[in-house]
Amino acid sequence: MKISTSVFALLAFASFAQADVLKINGSTTVNLPAAEGAEILRAEKKMDITVDTQGGSSGGISALGDGQVQIGMSSKPVSDDDRAKYPKVKFNPIHIGEDAVAMIVSKDVWDGGLQALTKQQTQDLYEGKVKNWKEVGGPDERVVFFNKEPGRGTWEVFAHWAYGDPKKAPQVSLPEVGGNEETRNKVGSTRGAISQLSSSWADGKKVFALGVKTESGEVLQPTPDNIATHKYPMSRPLFLITNGEPQGEAKTFLDFMLSPQGQELVKKHGYLALDQLKTGSP
Amino acid sequence: MRRVSNFLFPALCGLCTLLACAVFLGLVFVIAQRGLPAMSWTFITEQIRQVGAEGGIFYNLVGTLILITAALLVSAPIAVGLALTHAVYLRNAAAKSRLGLFLYTLNGIPSIVFGIFGFIVFVNYFGWGKSWLTGGILLAIMILPTVTVALIERIKALPAKYVEAATGLGLRRSQIICSVILPQSWGGLITGSLLGLARAAGETAPIMFTATIFAGATLPHGVRESPVLSLPYHIFILAQDSFDPAVGAKLWGSALVLLALVFALSVVALPFRLRMHVEAHG
Amino acid sequence: MISARSSLPLALRARAPSLTKSASFVFSGLAAFALAALTLIFLVQSLPVWGQEGLGYITGTKWFYRANLFGALPMIYGTVVVALIALLLAAPIGIGAAVFTSEFLPQRMRLAVKITIELLAGVPSVVYGLLGILFLRNWIYDLFARFEPLSGDTLLTAGVLLGVMILPTVMTLADDALRGVPADQRRAARSLGLNATETVLGISLPQAKRGLIAALLLGLGRALGETIAVYLVVGRQDNNLPQNIFSVRAWLEAGQTLSTKLGGSETNIAYGGSLHWAAMVGLALILMAMVLAVTIAGAWQRRTHDAASL
Repeated sequence: MKISTSVFALLAFASFAQADVLKINGSTTVNLPAAEGAEILRAEKKMDITVDTQGGSSGGISALGDGQVQIGMSSKPVSDDDRAKYPKVKFNPIHIGEDAVAMIVSKDVWDGGLQALTKQQTQDLYEGKVKNWKEVGGPDERVVFFNKEPGRGTWEVFAHWAYGDPKKAPQVSLPEVGGNEETRNKVGSTRGAISQLSSSWADGKKVFALGVKTESGEVLQPTPDNIATHKYPMSRPLFLITNGEPQGEAKTFLDFMLSPQGQELVKKHGYLALDQLKTGSP
Repeated sequence: MRRVSNFLFPALCGLCTLLACAVFLGLVFVIAQRGLPAMSWTFITEQIRQVGAEGGIFYNLVGTLILITAALLVSAPIAVGLALTHAVYLRNAAAKSRLGLFLYTLNGIPSIVFGIFGFIVFVNYFGWGKSWLTGGILLAIMILPTVTVALIERIKALPAKYVEAATGLGLRRSQIICSVILPQSWGGLITGSLLGLARAAGETAPIMFTATIFAGATLPHGVRESPVLSLPYHIFILAQDSFDPAVGAKLWGSALVLLALVFALSVVALPFRLRMHVEAHG
Repeated sequence: MISARSSLPLALRARAPSLTKSASFVFSGLAAFALAALTLIFLVQSLPVWGQEGLGYITGTKWFYRANLFGALPMIYGTVVVALIALLLAAPIGIGAAVFTSEFLPQRMRLAVKITIELLAGVPSVVYGLLGILFLRNWIYDLFARFEPLSGDTLLTAGVLLGVMILPTVMTLADDALRGVPADQRRAARSLGLNATETVLGISLPQAKRGLIAALLLGLGRALGETIAVYLVVGRQDNNLPQNIFSVRAWLEAGQTLSTKLGGSETNIAYGGSLHWAAMVGLALILMAMVLAVTIAGAWQRRTHDAASL
């Protein structure tokens, strides 16, 4: 009995003891440079930082709103709905880089001649109105659309481009993929497959990034130039979001990510750093 | 005809056995073949760098060990209490079988259900956030039936003369328990615990919402907001979201280490388990 | 001494319960409390969705959380199909292997096989999932190309993977059941001139029937609840109920099970006391109810079969 009382006392005390840790959560896209930045700061400045990717971009925003983390990672802007859900939170998104979302296809589709899609075609594919690739200029192959799971910034960027607003996107029931590797893996190993993916992940060997065909027939590839100048429509900002102005350890982390060293990490993982956005050059 | 069927039937059954064993060997072979290239002393003693592409899995291993140790410490006293209640204190058969039914039921509950329960109660209601202790508690509940049943079987198998002799010497029941029954049935507790821990070490679903993150944790400090890294969650995330082709061998290496840990725990329990098996069946 | 103790008047014998006894009861109570709390919390937290949809929650065929539409039928279907496929695979192979090891193998080899199966039982589900993603789904995709599956992520893939996972459970329990048949029954059969096969088919298997059914039910229970391995290979496609559930093509569709939905991203998105969260908890409740039904059926089988069990 004595043992159990002291255990309970210890637990009660421990649950009040504050852990002084910098907690970061959110998008798996932003996670790449952020987690590596955390590793460097942990090694150099002995900072205590935990990075998690529960729930993707939406999870990051919710966690920040609920006060569970100090920094939320997101690859989509904070929406009005988010602000309405957490009226007391002053979402402060800090831009650290830029990325793009591309529609990726498997090798057989690419080799079969389909290398770009219009917005309308993309909508038809998403809604299942187009069931065979030959209807849009590709090979005679069934369309297999793997949809990014809800909550992913990648999906929201796609929906924003294709339908103007994620809320306007029609309800569909498609097979889902979660992380980047799963998407690349499944699209790469399935004939006639298409999905949404961060353009830096399209390696040109297993999966191929389609260009966007505009009304005028111009094909916009997700090149660094097109992304930086926002000519390519599905570019997305990479955000580290804090509640109000960043302070203390959060400020140290953010300063690091905005520094040349941190920006190098952004570039290293295939995204565009802030300076590239201003000049539009790689 | 009889002779033919007398040959065919055992042959068919033998084929089934062969198939079962072949699956096991094939599984181990594939993981060993792909995981061995990643194995080195540094793999086990270093921590993750470059989000899984570099470094080792030290803190993942440590995290898993912390989780199963916590599970052991929480489940052992409860298992002993349940076993004693069943084998010693409960007199009528109906009550015993109700307790047995309770354990049987508990054993069947899916691990994801425990994960959701922990998410509701510990992460949110108690406000602990992700905590190693939550993982330990949930895992303890999960392995409780295994540990308890092993202990009960051991107690039941105790030669009656031990207890008779002790009673004859005038010992009270609690003294009999503490100086005769428990020391003699230690093996059952060990066996059950090892088997339970082997299962707990490999579980992902109960801990992924409640206790573990992908990167950034080392050793926990306190109870609140103290997640740990873990091997199964690491593998789960890498399988969907590996950030670099270089991760490939590391993924298999992690799987190999996890498999080795689980096998080691199972194998140590084997002699006890087989001995118990023999005693119970004669 | 013993007779002196038992003839003591009741008043003298009755004293405050010992420390060990109270501790044991407290700890046992703790375990029971945890289970009760779990059930209660799930019931309470899922009430909104039952109020909103009523029975339509279970029979509804569409789940669109953004439109607040919550029908769980496709997921119940997915859970059942995947578990049944697993059982269809594990039952014959598991029982066949159990028959072989308990009736035909010599002692030494029996030990070797038992050890192999024990180890197989310990393989974590995430490892199975890994092998499923990298091998099984491609095999199924190629093997069944005739039936034109959309991809390698199908209910069949998940079912086959699960079948391998529950094989050790089925085999070990079937082996136990067969060993429980008394040896003299077999001796009697042999002395009457039956050969080994006839003995097994005519005596051992029928006598072990209850235990075998219990083994299958326990395996089924495990298969219903498995999350991680299924999550990686089932496709996670919602609302995909087939026209004809008895065709091969139906099995080659991608699907969603109760457990994969719970283990996915919606759990994090949904949390917060909304209808969506109630719907998610409701899924956990349905899953628990299904597994409970199967588990209790299995326990009932075992109890009436083996008087020496718990």
